[in-house]
This record gives sequence, C-alpha cells and structure tokens, in this order.
Amino acid sequence: MKNKILNITNLSKSYGAFKVTDEITIDLHFDEIHALIGPNGAGKSTLIKQIVGSVKHDIGSIILDQEDITDLTDVERAKIGISRTFQVSSIIPQFSAIDNIVLSLLDKSSKTFQLFKSVRNNKELYTNAKKILKEIELLEKCDISASDLSHGDRRKLEVGLALAMDPKVFLFDEPMAGLDESGTNMMINLFKKIKSNSPILLIEHDMDAVFALADRVSVINYGKIVATGTVDEIRRNELVRDVYLGYEI
Amino acid sequence: MIVEKIFNKWILVFLFLIPVLGFIFEEPYYITLTTKVVILGIAGIGLNLALGYCGLISFGHAAFFGLGGYVTGILSFHALNSELIFSWPFVTSGSSEMLVIWPIVILSSAFLALIIGLLSLRTTGVYFIMITLAFAQMLYFFAISWPNYGGEDGLSIYMRNSLPMINTMDPLTFYFICLCWLLIVIFISAKLINSSFGMAFQAIKQNEERVKSVGIETFKVKLLVFVISGTITGLAGSLYTDLNRFISPSVLNWQMSGEIMVFVILGGIARLYGPLVGAAFFIVLEQTLGGYTENWQFWLGLILILEILYVRTGILSLFEKKLKYEK
Repeated sequence: MKNKILNITNLSKSYGAFKVTDEITIDLHFDEIHALIGPNGAGKSTLIKQIVGSVKHDIGSIILDQEDITDLTDVERAKIGISRTFQVSSIIPQFSAIDNIVLSLLDKSSKTFQLFKSVRNNKELYTNAKKILKEIELLEKCDISASDLSHGDRRKLEVGLALAMDPKVFLFDEPMAGLDESGTNMMINLFKKIKSNSPILLIEHDMDAVFALADRVSVINYGKIVATGTVDEIRRNELVRDVYLGYEI
Repeated sequence: MIVEKIFNKWILVFLFLIPVLGFIFEEPYYITLTTKVVILGIAGIGLNLALGYCGLISFGHAAFFGLGGYVTGILSFHALNSELIFSWPFVTSGSSEMLVIWPIVILSSAFLALIIGLLSLRTTGVYFIMITLAFAQMLYFFAISWPNYGGEDGLSIYMRNSLPMINTMDPLTFYFICLCWLLIVIFISAKLINSSFGMAFQAIKQNEERVKSVGIETFKVKLLVFVISGTITGLAGSLYTDLNRFISPSVLNWQMSGEIMVFVILGGIARLYGPLVGAAFFIVLEQTLGGYTENWQFWLGLILILEILYVRTGILSLFEKKLKYEK
C-alpha cells in the first residue's frame, strides 16, 4: 500500500443491465506510468470519469495518497490532486493558449476569488504559464486563441492544463490521438520527465507509445480488467492478443 | 476593440451632453428620458454580468429590480407618513435619505439574489430560466396581493428621496446622481471582468466541465456573480422608483425581466457598454415609434429578429467584428 499513490478497488458502474465497469481493481505506483488499454467501448474513459468524479460509481472505493476520496465531488478531487485530460479536447475556446494555462493555475495559487486585481498584471501567473507552454512547445503560439489552434496543438494544450495543476496523479485520456510523430515524441519525453513527480494513468491507442512509456499495462475488456503486467508480460499474454493486440505485435 | 472603445467614450460624452442641452434649452423631458436610459442601462449591466459573461440566462431579474424599487418605496412611504415599518421584534422606521436607503437596497437585493441563486444554480439551461422566472412571478403576485402598499395600483411616494445639501427634486441633479452610479457600476464591472475571478466566470460560460476539472468551484463562482448581478439590478430599481416617485407590481412582472434581457441582447451580450446602448435604443424606439402606433413592440420584435440573424452580438459588435476575450 505504501508504494501506491492511487488505489482503486472493485469500482463498478452500470447503466441498467449494462455494466460499463465491472469490479475494477487497479492501482498506480509512485514514479510509474500505468497504461490502460483495450478496445473501443471497453470502459476505459468511463473508468477515468469515475476516478475524477464526473460519473458516480455504484460500488467500490478510490484511495488517493492514503486518503479515501470515494465520496468527494469532482472539484474536490481536482483540488486534492487529480488532474486529467479529456478524450476529446476540452479547452476554453475564446481564451488564448496562455490564458487557458493561467486559468488552470488560479486554484493552486488561490487567486480564483480575487475580484478586483487585473489578472494580466499578475506577472507570477503569466511567467509560470509561459514555462508550461515552453514545456509543451506552444510558447510561440501563446497569444493565439485556443479555437484557432490545430488539433495537435489543442492536445498539447490539454496536457499543459493538466501540468499547470501540479497534481498528485495525472489521468491522461488518449493524449496522443491525432498527433504527428514529432508531437508524439515530445509527449513521450515529457511524460517520462514528469512521472517521477506525478505518476500517470495513461489511456492510449498508440501501442508504440504505450510500449515505449509504460512501466505496467492493464487491459480492460467489457468493463473488466483481464490482465495486468509489464510490457513484455502483456505482449506475451494470449488472452490480451485475442481481445486486443492481435498476433502481429 | 479599439473602435469600440472610442465609441464607448462617445457614449459617455453624449450622456453628459444631452441632459445639459436639455437644461439649457429648458426641455426637462429629455433629461428625464436620459435618466431613464441610465437607470435601465445600470439594470442591464447587472444582468449582463450573469447572462453575458457567465452564461446564466436569468429570466427573473425583475425580482431584483422590483425589490430595489419596493424597498425604496416602502422606506420612503413610512418616512413621509411618520409610521413605523415594524414595532416588533425591534422598532424600524422609514427613511427618505438616499444614503440610508441605498445600503438597505444593496443588502436586501444581495440577500434575495443569494437565496434565488442557491436554489436555481443547482439547475442549468431551461430549468434555470424557469426557476428564476418563477421566483420573480412569486414576488409579482405577492406585491399585487399586498394592499398595505397599494396592491395592484402601486405606491406613490410624492417626494423624491433626499441627499444632504443636494436638491434631488431638480431633474438635472438627480440625473447626475444616476450617472455617478452608472460610472461606479461600469468601473466595478470592468474590474471584475478583467480579474482572475472574471477569467473564471467567463471560462464557465464557455466550458464549465473544464473549469471544474482545474479545481475551480464553479457553483461558488456562479453564485457570487449572480449575487453581484442581482445587487446592481436592485440598485437600478431603487433609482427607478425615485425617478418616477412611484412603484407598482409591473416592475416585478416577467415583461420587465424580458425588457432587461432585450437591452443586453440589443446592445451586445458580454460587452461592457452593450446594455446601456441597448437601453438607449429601446427608449428611442419607444418614444419615436410609440408616437405613431401603440403596438410599437411589433417593430422592436422585427429589429430583434434581424439583429439576431445578421448581427448576433449586438449593436456594439458593428464596431468590432469578432467577439474575443479582451487582451
């Protein structure tokens, strides 16, 4: 238990007779990237939503850093250190890239309810935002409206929003979807760098990226975890090959 | 935005000039008309904070406008009749001093907005619209059925409330009192919009789920915006009662909520001076077309349809094509 920052036990969610997640037990260690893979509709994104609190679970428990967060709201979970990206880019479209990042810094710096001071005169916030934009290679586009960014840049901005929160754990939902090779490589290097501060639960369909990054991999199918192991163990697992990877990898 | 900013300055110049010209040419009617524009502009700026900047489509702002009006009317009514408002649990008398009335109006409007906000902000979309509307209509029917203060006939206060050493009965003087409030409200709104808090509530309008995911308590942010918005509109209601020296349940009716919303939409949603321009346009239309036909609202409807189809973000957007978060 001591080396686990996130511990999920028997988490389940049903819509009528359909079990989206079925007694899922999964954990995340300090300093690791734990990839969650599986076919479309297997329940990966629903699991993420249950962990962040936007979808209520039926049964099960979630422990973050030895604190039971099962009954906390989504905002409370974000405040105590769960940071996420969305499967489909979710940004503030009319804000510039840098204003998106500054928004993400507000709660951590206790500035949300600062009513009368101009946010743009806060040099500390904007300096920190620029550091994050540099990490995600968007610094030169900092003043561009988020709605005018390309799909790849929006994915990067999503990750930047998560980084700005300096959380205990990251939950990344397909962060590399639609990125070109250089964008994917940038993400891989970034994730390797940040995992020692905040471990990552990663949902990703790009298997090359998963195998390059993951310390452990769990496979989900029909809402159940069917296998967990190292990259090599998962690659050799016959069941995983049957349900998801196939026999060419 | 530069062209719009220049236009905004011209609006202030006109607001100064028109009543002064009215005074010079002894046309107090124009002073009263401009005073009405300023007061309704304040009400619209209040709603614009919630509706335009935070996406809270309140169809019940008449509740705050009417409450501000009735608090002013009741305090003044009791002061003029030298009657107590309450004798238990504590003795409360009326007042005809604006410096006493305004803080009471501000506190009571804020309290009402807090109560309505706490209940209505648990819902979104059409349910939020309906709950805010329902609250305003409850107050409307309450005012109608309250004979102590005129019921359906309303309440006349005969004498405008006073300020020390200032003759508030003079139309030009009262106009400048209202103009001062308008400038204060614009100043406060501008500060709010450009603050971190403003960044949060403008983000909520665009993507609340994302704002929650970065740890911002969106309910608290929306509640505070709603309270500030209701308070500003309540203050406008107080000035409106003093302007007319009369208050009636009609200012609590859903039509009033609709009119305040029309000011915001006509002038430009999420534009600081938009509601003021919208109110001015509305009043000019009422005065000009109203001279030809009783059903001048038909033409207002037509203009609204054309604006929503072709201009979208209000009259002020003609001075700036694309609405963006200001740099």
